[in-house]
This record gives sequence, structure tokens and C-alpha cells, in this order.
Amino acid sequence: MATFRRLLGFLRPYRREVVASLVLATLAMAGTVAIPWLTGRVIDRVRAGDSADVTMLAVAIAVAGILRLALTVARRLIAGSVSLGVELDLRERVYGHLLGLEMGFFDRQQTGQLMSRATVDLQAVRFFLGYGLIFMVQSALTILLAAAAMIALDPGLAGLSLIPVPFVVFVAARYGRRGRPAIQEVQQRIAEVTAEVEENISGVRVVKSFAREERQFERFGDAVGRLFDQAMISTRLQAFYNPFIGFLPQLGLAAILFFGGRRVIDGTMSLGDFAAFYTYLLMLLGPMRMLGISLGMAQRATASGARLFELLDRTPRIVTKPLAPALPAGSGSVELRDVTLRYEGASRDALTGVSLVVPAGRTVALVGATGSGKTSLVALLPRLYDPTAGEVLVDGVDVRDVEPSSLRSAIAAVDDAPFLFSASVHENIAYARGGGDDVPREEVEQAARRAQAHDFIGRLPEGYDTRVGERGLTLSGGQRQRVAIARAFLADPRILILDDATSSVDASTEQRIKAALREVMAGRTTFVIAHRLSTIALADEIVVLEDGRLAAHGTHAELLEVSDLYREIVAKGLPDQVFLTRKPVEREVAGL
Amino acid sequence: MSTGEAKRTETRLEDVRRRLRGTSGRGRKLKGLIALLRPYRSRVAAMFVALVLGTAASLAPAPLAKHAIDAGIVPGDVSTVNWVVVAFVISALIVWGATFAQTYLTGWVGQRALQDLRLQIFRHLQSMPVGFYERRPAGVLISRMTNDVEALNSLVTDSVVTLFQASLTLLGTIAILLVFDVELALITFCILPVMALGSLAFRIASADAYKRTRETIGAITGYLQESLSGIRVVRSFAQEPRHRRRFHALNDDNRDANMKTVYLNAGYFPAVEFVSALATVAILLIGGKQAIDGQLEIGVLVGFIAALNGFFDPIGQLSQLYTTYQAGMAALDKIFELLDEESDLVEAEDAIELDRLRGEIRFEDVTFAYSTADGTKLALADVDLVVPPGQTVALVGATGAGKSTFAKLLARFYDPTEGRILVDGVDLRDVRASSLRSQMGIVPQEAFLFSGTVEENIGFGRPEATHEEVVAAAEAVGADGFIAALPDGFDTEVGERGVQLSAGQRQLLAFARALIADPRILILDEATSNVDLHSEGKIEEGMRRLLAGRTAVIIAHRLSTIRQAGRIIVLDGGRISEQGAHDELMEARGAYWALYRDWAEQAAA
Repeated sequence: MATFRRLLGFLRPYRREVVASLVLATLAMAGTVAIPWLTGRVIDRVRAGDSADVTMLAVAIAVAGILRLALTVARRLIAGSVSLGVELDLRERVYGHLLGLEMGFFDRQQTGQLMSRATVDLQAVRFFLGYGLIFMVQSALTILLAAAAMIALDPGLAGLSLIPVPFVVFVAARYGRRGRPAIQEVQQRIAEVTAEVEENISGVRVVKSFAREERQFERFGDAVGRLFDQAMISTRLQAFYNPFIGFLPQLGLAAILFFGGRRVIDGTMSLGDFAAFYTYLLMLLGPMRMLGISLGMAQRATASGARLFELLDRTPRIVTKPLAPALPAGSGSVELRDVTLRYEGASRDALTGVSLVVPAGRTVALVGATGSGKTSLVALLPRLYDPTAGEVLVDGVDVRDVEPSSLRSAIAAVDDAPFLFSASVHENIAYARGGGDDVPREEVEQAARRAQAHDFIGRLPEGYDTRVGERGLTLSGGQRQRVAIARAFLADPRILILDDATSSVDASTEQRIKAALREVMAGRTTFVIAHRLSTIALADEIVVLEDGRLAAHGTHAELLEVSDLYREIVAKGLPDQVFLTRKPVEREVAGL
Repeated sequence: MSTGEAKRTETRLEDVRRRLRGTSGRGRKLKGLIALLRPYRSRVAAMFVALVLGTAASLAPAPLAKHAIDAGIVPGDVSTVNWVVVAFVISALIVWGATFAQTYLTGWVGQRALQDLRLQIFRHLQSMPVGFYERRPAGVLISRMTNDVEALNSLVTDSVVTLFQASLTLLGTIAILLVFDVELALITFCILPVMALGSLAFRIASADAYKRTRETIGAITGYLQESLSGIRVVRSFAQEPRHRRRFHALNDDNRDANMKTVYLNAGYFPAVEFVSALATVAILLIGGKQAIDGQLEIGVLVGFIAALNGFFDPIGQLSQLYTTYQAGMAALDKIFELLDEESDLVEAEDAIELDRLRGEIRFEDVTFAYSTADGTKLALADVDLVVPPGQTVALVGATGAGKSTFAKLLARFYDPTEGRILVDGVDLRDVRASSLRSQMGIVPQEAFLFSGTVEENIGFGRPEATHEEVVAAAEAVGADGFIAALPDGFDTEVGERGVQLSAGQRQLLAFARALIADPRILILDEATSNVDLHSEGKIEEGMRRLLAGRTAVIIAHRLSTIRQAGRIIVLDGGRISEQGAHDELMEARGAYWALYRDWAEQAAA
């Protein structure tokens, strides 16, 4: 109930409109309810043979119809815009909240689950607040007003013929509660079938090369079979509830015929009242069902609302003091003081007691096995995470004491698998500076040139305006990386973070990327997560990490002397390097 | 699926396929639909009986009310009233039962027919050669199976029923009104064209508007998804405010599109109510006068008003059909187009079942040209080559030199344009595909894993393999170490919906998968991606184990692999430019020597 009240809170900015549409709905319903009553009067006047009154009453019905028309149009327009407004508010609130949460939150949540909150749950809530609530109120109003009119006509018969109403509402609410999840479950099964199809199309070579068509067909048959079963569950619910909900009010009609008919014959009821009763009950068929269904909707919306509030109530863990100063000017020196980092819910530290001083302008290679803490270390610099203990300083100030966006715009990262947005190449490069039209094409082109990306961009179908990313043209790993390097150029950061695990690039591209990197690194403090000796060679100093601890720190020559681990990495990790030194003819071609 | 069930499904599909293919020309789509429903004709017949019965019974209340008034209440005959009430309850029970049966049967038949269609399309796709997939974006094929089948779903399950039910209701109501009173009925019918045209116009306009809202909401969902997947980049560049603005703009678009539907609905539905009120007024005015003059029984008035609903609802429903019908037919067109595609790699009736191969490969003057949108593109020319059993051949050359075409022809993803390819002396075109493929292992560059457990993925190479064999295969290629470190070991879910494995780990699983299939011939496209320093050595070791004792063709990218190959073939522009062992080629100082120098420089840079 508390959740329900909080949900209604979303309507608060639209108080006036909500009140207006309630008033309009009530008046329109009064018009609706008046029509059968007037019809009843007409029947009575017809029986009495009074044609003048008949004309007058018919005109009254027409007037009621016109009033209802005007009121309903107004009500629908107001309520419609309120529901769209609520929808927009709700969506932006959730989105804004998500953007404000710390990275650690996203690490623990699957994107799919968050999407489900932001789409399925949000939809349940907005359907209810937008339409369900209005349907509910309107249906309830119709039933109440019609019931009042029926009681005024004949309380006894009203009582009898209204008996089915609560049952219909109850059954319809049950259906509303059970039917919808069943349909969602069907959607889930359809998604499974789709996934199965996707896999078989993407993996067609594997299937064919192992001649596994039969087995895959069986698997697909199973998935389709599960879809059928679930669809039948949904069909059975529909087949049971729909006719049942339709049947119950018929009993009320039968009661009117049976008892009302006798009353008219007895002379204790007029034929017009009888006809009015009959019409009222026909009129209530829709609202009864609708009230039930919207009650079911309300229950689901409350459940979804609870999940949504759980998300909205989650306060961001990385917060900055209000009025924190911007990062002071500097050239990008970095210091880690006894830093320990343990991710929320993790059983061991990702980094333990790491202390490191990097003077401005130096290039540091981070070396270590997967999971040794390389990525965690660099994630601390733009404050994607806060250390569990210790402090991180950039240009002499603790990163927690400065305004985050000023810190982050001083740092740029080029990932091994750079993420590009579904936007033009231009927008993706200009991203660092607010994107789009704010950055002139010349600047973007210049950055792309320096990143060795200008040539291939020129060959794209629409050059810099080619749409890339998930819903655009797919760029190769090497191309994506160069776009990301161009993005970093344009950001003009003090500190650069690189991951050199380039994938699938041929020799000439490799050379180009290296040249681009050399260019972008000049004059900046650079951290390179290094996967090969050739990159390590670019570095001034090397940091070897092992299980989250700083195992060694020094130049290549120094480390070869003091670190067994480093020696092993150099020896084992780069077999190509090893054989190059074995045969004279090869030494010759390698230019060694 | 059990074996018996699978067999029945197979026979049914065969029958449907024959019928679908047999149809052509005008009325094909209708015939196609009928072919899909044909296996379930008795149920379809029962559904129609229930539909007609239910619709007829649902028309009863209005005439019954009229009869109760005119024959019972007005003359004061209580027993007639009693009989009417009994008839009334009976008709309601019939509606209940018939609607239940009809809803259930429609759902059952519709879902079954769609299930058949899905299986049919899937089977058809499977029968297509790999070249077919390369010419079409995966999204289009997926959409045939999902969106298009769903569009048919609403046509088959909703529209057909609505069409018959609404038409019957409308016709029945018209008949009842005519029997009640011809003059009054004709006056009421004046509304028909107005309502029908108005409703149709409304449906067409709102179909457009709803399409816009679906598109805009799709854009919102897509943007949301992207913001979440790219949150790290958003955060790193501190671009949250910009995303918030863009999101707001998308939401505004959606609101504008939605507002159009609000306008349309606010106009249409109250107008229908109003027309219905006007009809009531007309009936009361004209009918009332007639009743006062004694030309009309008073029950007819009540009956008329009660029957009006049966008049308005079907018109609205029928107008709605228009859009679903169009969408469904368009979908059917696209599905037919797909099913009409013929495979260009057809297996001969008397194809040879291969025994266990020795593994000799022979290319005889093989030329291959891809057919592209504008003519053909030569990919391989006059390739002549014999690979003795057990030899490892490394294919090297620049991008586009013909390395992957070579591999694809050997795997018979395509047939050569000229010349022939023989395995153990038998032309690939004369061989039963399944007997060839089960002895030929293919390890693609990007190791594709299916969603399922690690064990299932390795066992994919030989489904009957025991757990021990799977473990042994994993150990042999050196994948056991990282598998043991996974949360559930061999039972860990991988693939799209499971744990994300690194490129190197996926590669090792692909090796194990190939090893367990124990192929005589191995085609391996080496991954170029740089894997973790420590995985590198493992992959090399795994590959050595995999190659032992088999004929292998490797599209090689690593110096170490190339050097260990028994023979190196250098391809240039689709032709073999050089071949021999590493040492020979280095001494020759030809194309290979030049290529090798580039690599070596790169590795040392």
C-alpha cells in the first residue's frame, strides 16, 4: 500500500489536470447513465400514447449524447497528456538515476536485468498510472452511478440484478493478474526461440562442419515445443476466463427478465423502468470487466513499482562534497598511497597496499597476468571506483576532493575493445568534447589524421557521417581502436590510459596503431596495460603486478635484473621473440 | 522430442512442404495458409462449428427480450416470461461453452500451424549452403522466423476468428432488425456506411500513428541499452548531462508520436458513442410514434436498442482487420520468398558414403569465382595440389589472396567453378555430405560457442561422447586448467547467455571440440587476436596435440605455426606463388622471405 501511495506521488505535478479529468469523467458518466433512464421514460410515454413527451425526451437524449461527447473528448485529451507526461517523467527519473550510480553497481547487475526494470517494470507502472487508473476510476464511477440510478428505480430488483457485479470484478481481476504474466512468459519463450535461431544462423559453419543439423533441429524443435506449451497455458486462461466473465452478467439479465417481468405484469413496475434496468445492465458489461482488469493491473503495477523504487532508492556510493573545486591545473602527476581496493561482494582484494609515484609525462607499462589488478589500478584514476583504503592523488590532490567531471575530462582511456555509440564517426570522435555539432569537422579530421584513422574513414560509405556502433556499420577491432585514439586526442587529457590488446589487425594496421599511440602519448602521463614486449618497450618504467600487489617497479633493464617474475614473463610470454634469436638467417631478416 | 513424435513431425512437415511448394500464382497465399492448417482440418471444422453456434447464441438476448415483452409482459402471460428466461439462460450457457471451445481450438490450431511453419523454415535454412548465409544479413533471416511468423500469428489466431465472428454478428443483427421492423431497420442501416468509413479511416490513421510510437519507443529502448553497455565510456568522459539531454529529446519524440494517438482516440471513441446515442434517439422518435399509432409492438423498441451493440462492435472490429491482414500477407510473401530459395549444392541420389579416410587431399586445376551483385569475382585460379595424408599445410598470403576460399572449397561450403577437389581419390561432389563432414574438423578464426555448458560445447563435436572423453579432450588441448577455474567447471554456462570467455579460452574450447570429433582432415583458421601472454603458449601446445596424425590445412597468422608446418603454400591473387618447407623458402628469398621479414620486424618492433 505504501508503494501504491508512492506511485500515486508521480501524479502530484499534474494535480490540477487529474482533478479536472475526474470532474469531466463524472459528468460524462452522468450523461451516460441518464440515457437508459430517459429511454425508459420514452417507453412509458409511448405506452401512455403521449407523443409530445416522446419528442421532448428524445431531444433530451440527444442533448445528453452531445454533452457526453464534448466532455469525453476533453477528458481524453487532458488524461492522455497527463499519462504521457507521467511516462516521460518516470522514464527520465529512472534514466537519470542510473547515470548517477557508481560503476560498482553496474558490475554486479546484469544489463539485461536493469533493462527489464527500465522497460518491463516501468511499463507496468506507466500503463497503470497512465491508463489503468483512469479506467479504474471511470469504470467504478459508471457502476456506482448506474447502481444508484437502478436503486432509485427499484431497490429490490437493483439488488438482485447487481449480484453478479462483484463476482465479475473479482474474476476479471484474477484474470488480469494471471493472464498478463502468462503472456509475458510466452514472450520469453519467443525470445528463446529467437536466440536459438540466431545461434544457428551465426554458427552455421560450426553446425555444418560437424554435420550436426539433426541435433540442432531437435533442439530447435524442443524450443518451439516449449513455446507451444506456454502459448497453450495462456490460451487456456483466456478460454476459461473470457467466456466466464461474459456469462456472469447474463444471470443478472435473466433475473431482470424473471422478476422484473413479473413486477410489470403485477403492475408494480412500469415497462419503461423494466427496459431501463435491462439497458443499464447491458451498459455495465464493459465497465465490470474493465474494473476487474484494471484492479489486476494495479496489483502488478504495485509489484513492479516496488522493484522500481528499490532501484530509485539506491543511493549513489560515489558522491562528491557539494561545491568541490575543479581539478587544479597541472601536468598529470599521479600518486597512489597504500591503496587497497576490494569490490563490493568480492571475497578478496583486487589491489592490496599499492603505493606508486608517477611523475608527470612518464609512460608506465602495467604487466601481469589476467586478474592481477592492472585494470583495477587504472580505474581508480578517473574515480570509477573509490579505494577501500589509501588515497589516489592526481596533481597532488585526492581525487575524492575534486569535482568528478573536471577530473574525468583530464583523463582519457583507450580500451582494448573500445565501445562506440550508435552514431556517426564524427560524433563518436567528438564525444569527448560534448559531441555532435559543437566540434568543427576540421578538428575531428585532424584528430583522426593523427590517430591514423582518416584514411579508412574516408573510405567508409558516408565518410565521417557513416553511422557506426551496434545499429550501424561494424568496424573492425583495429578501426574501432583508432577511432577511440582519435577520441582521446580530441579530449586532450593530462593522463592517458591504454590497453594494447589489439585484436585481429594485420601487420600494416598494427604499425599504424603503434604510430598513432606514440603520437598521442607525447607529453602526457600514460598508463599502458601491456600484453607484448613491443609495447613494454615504449614505456619509461614498468610496474609488475601479481595478485593485486605491486611485485616490482623499474625500467626494463632493472627489472630483468631484480624480478624473477618479469624475467619469466619475458621468456615465456613471447615465443615469437624467443625463436627470432635462434637462427642466424632469421636474425638477419629481423634486422637484429 | 521422442523418436516417435519426431517421426510424426517429420512426416507432417514433409506433407506441408509438398503443399506449400505445390502452390503458386494467384491466391497462393490463401492456399499456403490452407496448406498449413490442413493437417488439423478436423479441429478447424470443430472450431467453426463452435464459432457459428456461439455467435448465433450470442444474438439471442435481443429477440428474447422483445418476445418477453410483447408475448409475455404486455399480455400478462407469466409462463411465456418463464420460458423466455429458461431460453435466455440456455443461450448464455451455449455462448459460454462454445466460446471456450472456439478460443481453445483456435489457439491450439494456430500455435501448431505456426510451430510447423517455424520448423519448416528452420529445416529449409539448414538445407541451404553456407554461401547462402554469406549473401544475407543474419538479421533478415532471423526476422523471417520471428517477426514475420508473429505477424502471421495474429492473422491466423485473431483475424480469421474476428472476420467470421464479426461478419456473422453483423449479418445476424441485420437479419434480426429486419424481422423486427423493416422501416426502422432501414433507417438504422443509414449509419452503417458512415460508421464503416469512419472506422476504417481511423484504423488507417492510427496504424500509422502506432507505428511511429513503436519506432520512437524502440529508439528509447535502444538508447537506454546503449547507455548501460557503454556506461564506462559515459562515465570516463563525464558525458552524463549530454546523455540526459539526448534521452529527453528521444522521450519528447515519443510523446509527440503518442499525442497523435491520443488525438485520434479522443476523436473516434466518443464519436462512436455519440452515433450510438443518435441511433437510439432516431429509433425512439420514429419507432415511438409508430408504437403510439399501434403500428409497432413496444417490445420491438426495447429489442432494437438492445441489439444496437451487436451492430456497432463488429464494424469497429472489422475495420481493425485491415491492418493485421496487410501485415500478415506481407509477412507471408516474405516467408514464401525464403522457402522458394533452392539450395545450389545438391547431393546426388547415389552419393558415396565415405569410409574412414586416410586423408589425402587433391586439388585438380581448381578455379573459383564468387558471384557478386555486379558479375563475378575470381578468388582462386588453377590451383593444383596434392597433400599426402598426415601432412600439415600452412596457407599464407595477404588478405584476399584466396586462403579462406581454399579452406571453404575443401569444406565444400562451395563447389569449385572449374576443376575438382578429391579426398582419398573421390570427388567431393560425389560424396554424401554428412559422411565427409563427420571426418573433417573445422576450427574457425572466431571460435563460435553455443549457449550451453562447457561440456555441451565440447561434446558438440560428438554428442555421444562420455563425460570422461570430454574431460580427456579438454586435457589434451590444455583447456582443463581454465575450465577448472570456472564457477561450475564443465557445467558452466557459456555463450551469449553465460560466462564471457576470453578469445584464447574460446579457441581452446574449439580445439577440444574438434579433437573429440577425431577428424581425419582438419581445417584451421588461426586466430589473429592477441591472447593473454600466458594463454599464448597453451594454445600452441593445444594445437600441436590437435594436429598430430591428421592431415591439416591451416590459414596461418603466427610465425611459430608457419614454421612448424610440413609445407607452406604462399597464395597471391588466388594463385599458388610458392610452396615448400620453411627452410627451403627462406633460402629461395622469394615472396615468402619478404613476407616473413615483415612479420619478424613487426614482432620485434
